[in-house]
This record gives sequence, C-alpha cells and structure tokens, in this order.
Amino acid sequence: MKIELEKTLALPVNAATGWSLVENIEDIAACMPGAKIAERVDDTHYKGTMTVKLGPATVVFRGELQVVAADPATKFLHVLGKGADTTGGSGASLDLTARVQETGAQTCELSGRSEVNVTGKVAAFGARLMNTVTDQLLKIFFANVLAKAEALQTSAPPPVAAAKLNAFAFLWGMLKDFVCGLFGRMKAG
Amino acid sequence: MDQTVEKSGRLEKLEGIGCARHRREDPRFIQGKGTYVDDVKLPGMLFGVMVRSPYAHARITSIDTSKAKAHPGVHAVLTAEDLKPLKLHWMPTLAGDVQAVLADGRVSFQNQEVAFVVADDRYVAEDAAELVEVQYEELPVIVDPLHSMDAGAPVIRPDLDGKDVGAHGRRRHYNHIFNWHVGDKDKTDRAFADAPVTVKQDMFYPRVHPCPLETCGSVASFDPVRGELTVWITSQAPHVVRTVVGLLSSIPESKIRIISPDIGGGFGNKVGVYPGYVTSIVASIVLGRPVKWIESRSENLTTTAFARDYWMTGELAANEDGKIRALRVNVVADHGAFDACADPTKWPAGMFHVCTGSYDIPNAYVSVDGVYTNKFPGGVAYRCSFRVTEAVYLIERMIDVLAQKLGVDKAEIRRRNFIKAEQFPYHTPLGLEFDSGNYGPALEKVLKAVDYEALRAEQAQKRADPNCPTLMGIGICTFTEIVGAGPSKSCDILGIGMFDSCEIRVHPDSSAIARMGTMTQGQGHQTTYAQIIATEAGIPASGIMVEEGDTSTAPYGLGTYGSRSTPVGAAAVARAARKIREKARKIAAHLLEVSADDLEFDLDGFNVKGDPSKAKSMKEIAWAAYNNVPEGMEMGLEAVDYYDPPNFTFPFGAYFCVLDITKKTGETKVRRFYALDDCGTRINPMIIEGQIHGGLTEGFAVAMGQELPYDEQGNVLGATLMDYFVPTAVETPHWETDFTVTPSPHHPIGAKGVAESPHVGSIPCFSNAMIDAFSHLGVTHFNMPYNNWKVWKQAQALGL
Repeated sequence: MKIELEKTLALPVNAATGWSLVENIEDIAACMPGAKIAERVDDTHYKGTMTVKLGPATVVFRGELQVVAADPATKFLHVLGKGADTTGGSGASLDLTARVQETGAQTCELSGRSEVNVTGKVAAFGARLMNTVTDQLLKIFFANVLAKAEALQTSAPPPVAAAKLNAFAFLWGMLKDFVCGLFGRMKAG
Repeated sequence: MDQTVEKSGRLEKLEGIGCARHRREDPRFIQGKGTYVDDVKLPGMLFGVMVRSPYAHARITSIDTSKAKAHPGVHAVLTAEDLKPLKLHWMPTLAGDVQAVLADGRVSFQNQEVAFVVADDRYVAEDAAELVEVQYEELPVIVDPLHSMDAGAPVIRPDLDGKDVGAHGRRRHYNHIFNWHVGDKDKTDRAFADAPVTVKQDMFYPRVHPCPLETCGSVASFDPVRGELTVWITSQAPHVVRTVVGLLSSIPESKIRIISPDIGGGFGNKVGVYPGYVTSIVASIVLGRPVKWIESRSENLTTTAFARDYWMTGELAANEDGKIRALRVNVVADHGAFDACADPTKWPAGMFHVCTGSYDIPNAYVSVDGVYTNKFPGGVAYRCSFRVTEAVYLIERMIDVLAQKLGVDKAEIRRRNFIKAEQFPYHTPLGLEFDSGNYGPALEKVLKAVDYEALRAEQAQKRADPNCPTLMGIGICTFTEIVGAGPSKSCDILGIGMFDSCEIRVHPDSSAIARMGTMTQGQGHQTTYAQIIATEAGIPASGIMVEEGDTSTAPYGLGTYGSRSTPVGAAAVARAARKIREKARKIAAHLLEVSADDLEFDLDGFNVKGDPSKAKSMKEIAWAAYNNVPEGMEMGLEAVDYYDPPNFTFPFGAYFCVLDITKKTGETKVRRFYALDDCGTRINPMIIEGQIHGGLTEGFAVAMGQELPYDEQGNVLGATLMDYFVPTAVETPHWETDFTVTPSPHHPIGAKGVAESPHVGSIPCFSNAMIDAFSHLGVTHFNMPYNNWKVWKQAQALGL
C-alpha cells in the first residue's frame, strides 16, 4: 500500500540551523525511535536498520538509503530508500523530499513530503491502521525534531527522543510502534 | 392391518430414499474423532513450509539458502533450481495453462511460492524459512483487470512470449488468456436495435474465497524400496490428483495412492493441485521420508484458489410490457497470474451460459475475456457449479433493473418471462437443454407464504414517510442452476470424461460396502448414498459402509464439486444397486424355483407375484450368493457402475428476502429470508435442510461482507479472518425453507443436487433486496459486499 504524507513544521531556529538538523542523516534518524544508521557506505549511501515492535512480534527492517540531493544552497533534501524485513515477509520503499525555508531571522519552516510503498505481511495485516496511526506518529517525530531545534536554540542538552515513546500505554504504543516501523524506514531505509 | 404395520416396520428399518436418516458422519465429527490430513502422523515425518514473496510483481535476482540449510533441524530447502532437473518447477493447471511450482526467476503475485523449507517440525521450518534470503527487483503491478490489456501494460507472463494462441484460442494481448463467446451475436444485436426498451448495467462480482474450516495440506510418503508414493491430501477429486501426480512425476498411477481422509469443507477450494502438494511430494522423494505441508489461514486465503472476480456488463432488450427479447453480456474475468481456473476443459467460463436463467429469452449472446493480473490464481466454483453463481447473479440483477425501468413489479416481471412447465425440455438460445422445471408455482407459493402484497404496502408506507429511520428492501430471486458436470461429450478434465462411479459388494450376511469416485466434504455421502442403495437393493442402510477418497480402493471418479455427487455419483450408486437387485432377482428365482419374471421386488426382498407368502429376503439371497447360485452364474453379489450423464440437471428455486436498513448507520438486518428449493427427488430432507442452511449462510457471507481486495501495489488486504468475513451464529439470520418436487426426467432416481442452490440463489436475492431498498431513489445497482460502511456510504450519497 502507498502512504503519502505531507507535513510542515515551524522551527524556532534560523534556516541555517534548521538545515543542519536535516542534512545530517544520522542525526535525523536519531529522532526516529528504533532507527539506526549502521553504516555510511559513502557520502550519499547509508545502510541501516529499523526495529519495530508489532504486538508480540519484533520485526527488524534492513535497508539502504540513497541521498539523491542534499543542497545547502536551496536547503533541499531528496532521499530514496529501499528495505525489507529480515524475515523476508515485508518490503518497503521510500521517496522523501524535505525543504527548509526561512520564515524570519530566527525562524524557519521544515516541510516534508514522503511516499512510502509497503508490501507483504505488514501491508496485508496493517492496512486498516496505517494512515491514521502514521499521521499520529509523524507528530511525535516532528516533536522530537522540534525538541532538538529548541535544544540548539537554548544550548540545553537534547532530550532522548526514544524516551517519549516509552511513556505511552502499551496498546497505544503497540499501534504506534507498528507504524513507527513503516515511517521509520523512511529514515533507516 | 398387520401387514401394513409389518411393511412400515421394514420400510423404517431400510432407511431409504426420503427418510430423514441421521448423519452417520456426525458421531466422529462431534466427538473430535475425525481424521483430517493434519491428523496423519507417520514415523520420521518432516514438515515443509513455503517461503513466499512479499511483492506482487518482481524479478528475483538471487536466492541464498545457505543460512536456512545450516539451521539445526533443516533437511532441505528447495527452490525452482532444484526442481528444474526434475522438470517440476512448472506444472500444468486444470485450465490448460502452466503455473510455477516455485518461482522461476520471477514472482507474479503476492505470497507466491518461492522456496520450500523442510525441517524436523513446523517451528523449525518456519524459523528457517525466515533465513532464506531472497533479493527482489520490483516490477510495475497490474491489479485492475480492466486495464490489463492496455497498450504498454506490464507483461505478467513473459514465459508466454510469442504464444498468440492459448488453450482456448487466440490471445489478442500478452495479458489476454482467452475470449469465449456463445450465442447468435447478429440476431441478438438486431433484437436490441429493434427493441422499444433496453437496459444496461455494469456490475462487479468481487473476488472471494471459499475459506473452508480446514485449510489445504498434504502428507507425502514415498517408499524408495517399493517405488510407491502415498499422499494424504485435502482433495475434492483424489483420482484427478493421482492422474496429475502421475503426469508430473512419471510414476505409474498404479504405484500412486491418493487418500483424501476427512475433509473439513471444500467449497471448491480443494479441487485444484497446488504447489505445496507438489513440493511435499518432491521433498519426500528426495529425502525418502514422509513430508507434511499444511497451509496457514492467511496462506489459504491468499494463495489457493479464489472464486469470482467477474466484471460483468448485462443488457436486456424488451417490449414495453416487460417481455424480454434478448440478453447480451460482456465479461472481463480476472484469473490472476496463472490460469488455474477449475472448469471442464472445454469451458473456460464454466457454465456461465446458464445466464438466461429461468426466463424464456429468444436471443442471447455472451462474451467472456479472461485476463492475467498480479493476483493469485484460481477461479473455482465456490459452492456452485462452474461460474453459475456469476451467471445467476447477472440475470437476476438484470431482470430487476428492467422491472425498475418499466415500473413493473419485480414478481410480475418474472411471471411474464418464466419458461412455462409445458416448454420443458427447454432449449436455451445459448445451447443448453433444461431438463425440467415448474417456476411459476414455486414463486407463487413463496409470495403467498410471505404475504408479498402486505410487505409491498408496508414498504410504500415507509417510503412515503420522510421521518422513517429505516429503508425497507424486498428481494426476489427465481433462479435456475446447472449442475452435475457432466456429459462426457462436452465435459472433461485433462481429457478424462466427467463420469462418476460406484462399486458395491454385498457380503454373505447382506451387509455391504460401497465405494464411489466422489468425495464427501460435509455433504453426508455416507448417509445418503446408503439410503439410495437401501431403496434400490433392499439392504438396510445401517448395514452399508460407504467409503470414498482412497484411490487404491475406490473406482475412478471425477470427485465432488459443482453439485455433481447427486446428479452423477448418486446415479452410479442407484444403477449399481439396481445391478445388485437384478442379480438378486435371479438368485431368488433359483431359490424359489420360479421364473425371475414371476417375482416382484418388495422393499427388502422378492415375492412371487400374487403369492407374498413365497418370498426370499435380501438377507437370504445374499447368503445364497456365496453358496447356491443358479447354474452358470458367478458366485458373489457385486456390481460396478460408471455413469456418464446424458445431460446436466437444472435445480431451481424461488427465494425471498426482506431487509431493514438504518439510514443513519447503514446497519442492515435480515428481517426474513424464505428459500424454496426444488432439487427433484429428495433423498434425505434433513440433510437437504442442513445443506440449504449452510449455503444460505455462505451466500449471506458473500453478499454482506466477503471480499479479497487488493491495493494498487498488489497487496492482498483480506488475508486474515479479521478482514475476511466468516459469519458465526451471531450474525447469521433465521432461515425459512420450503420445497417443491420436480424430478429430473433423465436421472435414475430423479434427483438434481441441492447443496449449491442456496448459495447461488441467495446472493442475488440479498443484492436485489439491498438495491430495492434504494430503488425509489433511482439506484439501479451498487456492488457487494454490503457491509455497514458501504451501505452507509450509499445512504450518505443520497443525502439520507
């Protein structure tokens, strides 16, 4: 199934700082619980994993990310990803674009558009949940990015992104984690 | 008086045709003592699990089985490369196509079989299956059959490149399987051009699945010393499986034994031959150990044989008074990635040409195009004869559409078009000969039972009241089925005529064993076949063992599907029993020292005509068959019959449904469902009623909730019972049943078959009721399934 998302986030930092949050793939992946960049193959290629708890099961997705464009001048990022869970039961691909635009001297706007195609068991079993919960998840991811931006602004130590998720009730956490995997592969490939 | 009492006692003891004999199968099933394939446990048995594709369409760039093979407890991992030397990586389908047993460099539907992992048990095999590393390169996907033949559409079957002619004629596009047409096109077109009234309606019959309680599976055991292969298998047609296995493996059929043990429901799902069967057999041959393969529920729902998936356009031409002049139908049939449709070989759209229904329609033309898509293969007859559910749906919907256009009552339009009783045998414009029917009285009986006029008055009142919170829908369906495939002159599977068979051996104590080529899966053959023998041969049913499903003991038969057991199998049973009776007559004549012509058969023995005191019971005759037969006669009391039916049988019915729909929620309640069936001679009324209840429940399931939708990437979205609707006692409405009896003139006992009529008839009845509820607002059709969400959307669209 195809999940298309478009989100915009206002950040309390200038555009250059905002861009610094986005351009570093390792940093942005850290905002996504369960995501891990395992290897930087070269300047534009990364390998990573995404661990997702699916109710009683844990699924590990493994994949590759390719940075097609990362232009500091226009502050535009384009990433393609492709991955599969390690049991071979599901696959996913990602086409992500992000742009940072100045909205003031100390403010900017991060806008992102992603298209995730999911196949296999995860799509077949989780189709009914995906759109609503993915939307919910994206809010958390953006909250983490925002927290990071605020930390940069105040120079306070950045909060641990994953901790927020652990605070959720079990059921909600399960649903959210499920989609977290789908969205997470956007970062981890 | 005494004689009458005595006779009724003998009749009761016989438990013959017409008796509501209790099912002989029930004690073992109710106590959980049935033996299904998964209950078969053999010494040294291994378990196989499929590695399946998550993609609907992809090239396989590599398969690495090394980690899986190294996993403790794993004995083998088979891929297409391993099957190639045996030429078993592809197999023929029943429809004249080929299907990949294990993906040969490419997958064409989600969950396609890629590798087969064999291990000590299922747990180990499942773990190891996850260690098989398959690299895929995704390809564009086609899930919409209406775009399958577009210019530039993705090529689904490159293996067919250059093959312009398929098993059913010319292919006009690389994703085209066949075009099948029947009827006089020019005459039909002319009738349409001249007609004062025409109607046209598109309708989609969704892809559904029979979803039997027991999934498919097999246990293959090859004996390398004797060179013999035994396979326990979930098959509705074990003899056909033996022939297919023989063709595939080059093992002579005499060394192959296929056993269908107890089957937990088939409904068409267990007619085909599936890759899992083949791989379990290959693995057993390779490893020299028994190998079991059992599907999971999701595997069952997404890989082994769907039903329907017909995109139909129906047209009727009529006079102003509603008398139909012509029917024209165009169908796009989605067969998935391989054409594994289970139809008689010459009929790629099955018996769809029964679509003129119960109506006297002088002109008709039908054209069906089968196409490939990236979906799993199948196209089985889900509790119906081949494509009959689709055909009946089409005509029963169309006649309602016509009634609506003309403003004629939906019962009245049927009356005006029914084939009259005196027109039988009736020849349809599409080449069928209906054997018998009496449609008008059946409908009138139902209308009277439900008080039709009062219901229409209530509906009118509700429609007039804008504050009424509910919509009321009244559905009528007066269907004719075609079952009992079939006459070998027109029906075969893999070149084998669709006869069926029975062998009866009467033992010296007059008990008997009877074996058939059919295969029960809930129909109650052990009960009903014995009743036929009881009536025809005078042996009490309680002493008759009925055995099916073991190809080493049963005579060759084509199996049970398409309601063919009663029309074909039961005919063989009756005729074999009559052969027993005729031999018994000669023995009785010998014992009584009279001419055989002087004897008359009387329930359970023979009397001398005019002198009932001179008699020999079947018990005495059976004993004599083994020690005192007339000179020149062979000892023993046995008979075999292979029955090739002269025609199909045509059961019919009149169904009636009342729905109450809450406008604001779409919630739909079945207020009443009245089903009148005419299946000719009724062998066991209790079993008939049970079959009708089951068929109506499955019809309710299809109409109200079942579907296997795909998203545009080819993910199948009905893969679990969370998504796929299987009604329980909670959802199932109350059923009222009724009957008339119009025997088949060509069947030895006049029986027609019944198990599928309630499925075939109820689905359009539900649809007609649903559309009727909205018809006053201009709605002529909307597609099933009518779950609350969909009904609510329809109500919302109308501003209700």
